[in-house]
Amino acid sequence: MKKRAYVSVLSVVLSILLLAGCGNTATGTNNKSDDSSTNTASTATQAPTAAAEPSFEGEELSILVSAGWMDNRYDATIARFEETYGVTVDLQTIPADQYSDVLQTRLAGGTCADVFWIQSNPFAIESVIVDYENYCIDFTGADWMSVVPEARLSSCMVGDSLYGLQLWHNSPEYVMVYNKTLFNELGITEVPTTYAELLADCDTIAAAGITPWFLPGADGWQHQLSFFQIGGVYEEATPGLYDALNNNTATFAGNAKMLEVLNEFKELSDKGYFGEDWIGTSSTNMANEFGDRNVAMAMANSSYIQQLKEDTGTTDEFGLFLIPLGDNQNFPTNPAGPTMFGYKGTEHEDLVKAFFSFVCTTESLQEILDNSPSYTNIHVNDPDVQQHWLTEEQTFMDSIDESKMLTPVLQTGTKFTNDYWMDFGADMIAFCQGTMTADEVLANMDANRAISAAIQGDPAWQ
Amino acid sequence: MKKNKIYPKWFIIAPLILYAVFFLLPSLLGVWYSFTDWNVRSKGVINFVGINNYIEIFTSNKNYSAGIINTLKFTLISNVVKLIPALFLAILLKEKLKGKNFYRTIFYLPSILPFLVIGLIFKSILNFNDGLLNSALEFLHLDFMKQKWLSDLAVVWKSIYGVDAWRGIGYVMTIFLAGLNAIPSSYYEAASIDGANFFHKLRFITLPMLTGSITINLVFGLTYGLKVFDIVYVLTNGGPGHATEVLTTYSYQVYANGSYGLATALNTILFLITTVLGVLIVTYMSKQEVGE
Repeated sequence: MKKRAYVSVLSVVLSILLLAGCGNTATGTNNKSDDSSTNTASTATQAPTAAAEPSFEGEELSILVSAGWMDNRYDATIARFEETYGVTVDLQTIPADQYSDVLQTRLAGGTCADVFWIQSNPFAIESVIVDYENYCIDFTGADWMSVVPEARLSSCMVGDSLYGLQLWHNSPEYVMVYNKTLFNELGITEVPTTYAELLADCDTIAAAGITPWFLPGADGWQHQLSFFQIGGVYEEATPGLYDALNNNTATFAGNAKMLEVLNEFKELSDKGYFGEDWIGTSSTNMANEFGDRNVAMAMANSSYIQQLKEDTGTTDEFGLFLIPLGDNQNFPTNPAGPTMFGYKGTEHEDLVKAFFSFVCTTESLQEILDNSPSYTNIHVNDPDVQQHWLTEEQTFMDSIDESKMLTPVLQTGTKFTNDYWMDFGADMIAFCQGTMTADEVLANMDANRAISAAIQGDPAWQ
Repeated sequence: MKKNKIYPKWFIIAPLILYAVFFLLPSLLGVWYSFTDWNVRSKGVINFVGINNYIEIFTSNKNYSAGIINTLKFTLISNVVKLIPALFLAILLKEKLKGKNFYRTIFYLPSILPFLVIGLIFKSILNFNDGLLNSALEFLHLDFMKQKWLSDLAVVWKSIYGVDAWRGIGYVMTIFLAGLNAIPSSYYEAASIDGANFFHKLRFITLPMLTGSITINLVFGLTYGLKVFDIVYVLTNGGPGHATEVLTTYSYQVYANGSYGLATALNTILFLITTVLGVLIVTYMSKQEVGE
């Protein structure tokens, strides 16, 4: 009986302690809330300059980004931002092949970071983010809008509303970068302009024990560039194809030029011209492979030449040519690029807005460019930014007829195509390994686009 | 037995409510969603579409059926390659072996490593060009054994089974060890006097007495195999091409693409397969135990 009484008393005491603990926490929260309201009130009565730069002291800004989109180029700017506002930035970099899945899951689950990135294009906000009105902060009227060139705004806006900020370079993207010195030593004096010439050059290079074309299939996103970057050649072969694909009056399946390109790609794979195990190779060692002269060419941005020379110390000369699959001679015009958005569900909306404004100052833009070994320029409307164009880039651009620069690349010129980038890449590998046919690869893209169109209620697919 | 030592029946109410609210109800809701067109743009308007999602799964050119077959294949083979070696390891480590506790720890350690870490390590080890495994084979002049471990269709599944076994054998072995320790040594002594050899003891003493441990390992292995995701995702992400896609990787992709109804249909199929196989195995093993 006595024992039971002790237990009862102990229970009551513990319950009181528990409630007291809760009470204290609640009081603490209230105090904090009171403090913050006091701070807000005092801030509001401060001088206009102080009011223009509100205090974010102690807050944290999280950024969700795919590997390769920010790299180290934003580090200095982020450090200055942290110092300026007394905040911390939590950079969440996700491997490229998992990024899309992670982003979609976190958006749908309501746990997205304050700032998130997508590979945007004129259709991407609606097809990738989909519910952009619920997920994205509307930046319409922001000062930094004037920094973004007109061509890139189409990838940042829906109608008249501004959602994204795209700071990307304007160099030729994913064309063929080749070792000019090596080509000359092997007796190849002209760059290939047709598939037949490419094949002949690959024969010569492979005979010298060198991998002709470095293709990192394990990355999952690179090899399909050889198909999509040459969109102009498909439009040339079938005039009006882009419009027809966007109006659902044409399909990828059965397109003769696309089939031709896929079969050429497979032929190069079968002959081992992408390397012995291109499907299992990632791009992490690409610079070293170039530096050691184990490979002769690869798809890369023109500015990669500069990075390559800095990383490996090679004295070889490098040059650029257009991807000649399907006898393509069209420039990969592409207004798309990695673009950052503010997450509407954030608790730090003002901080997000401050971050976007901060990265668009001349100092930050210059810093981002200067800290990007793979950039030679940054495509912005700011004459005070010092660009670093390469001679090779200018020579290459001058060699291309303007009429060959009109058609955008396939993935951003046609609706819903870019959404299935990774799926198409997997299908291309399945085709090269003989488990799918070329037409099945194309038919899969049609089926996938139809799914996206149905989800979005696109009238052309109704 | 003292009556007041038995817990009253109402003790089960709280856990039962929690189980129903947080597990049973979401599972049933998932089954319901599999009959709808719920997607990323639904915005709260979800329409009943009957068995359309199931028709899509079995007729689409996406080859989801291959994912189902791969899942079943993985469940079967991964259990075989773990259970049998784990049993013999457990028997070996039960004997009076010098340093057996050290070996037990070493074998168990991989099972506490996160899949992500295992994936990163093994992707590096199994790299064709400069991975540790191929480099070692080259060093030993065994070049003919070099393989494209994660990109050759004929090898990739074997690599996954290998890595999975490396991770899981220690765990299975530990459960077997617990079972083996419960078998009285007098049984083995009596069998030895009767002239029984190792296999006789295994057949007539160890295996029958280990039915409980085998059931636990089989059920755990079965549920793990059917819902396999991590090991495939980190090693191959369903590739090369779609060669190693399983139900869960397809479900994850479909969900990420915004077709939630279709994704839940795939999960419902997985749920059905798991339930049917689980019930069958437990029923069969229970009968075995009763029979003994």
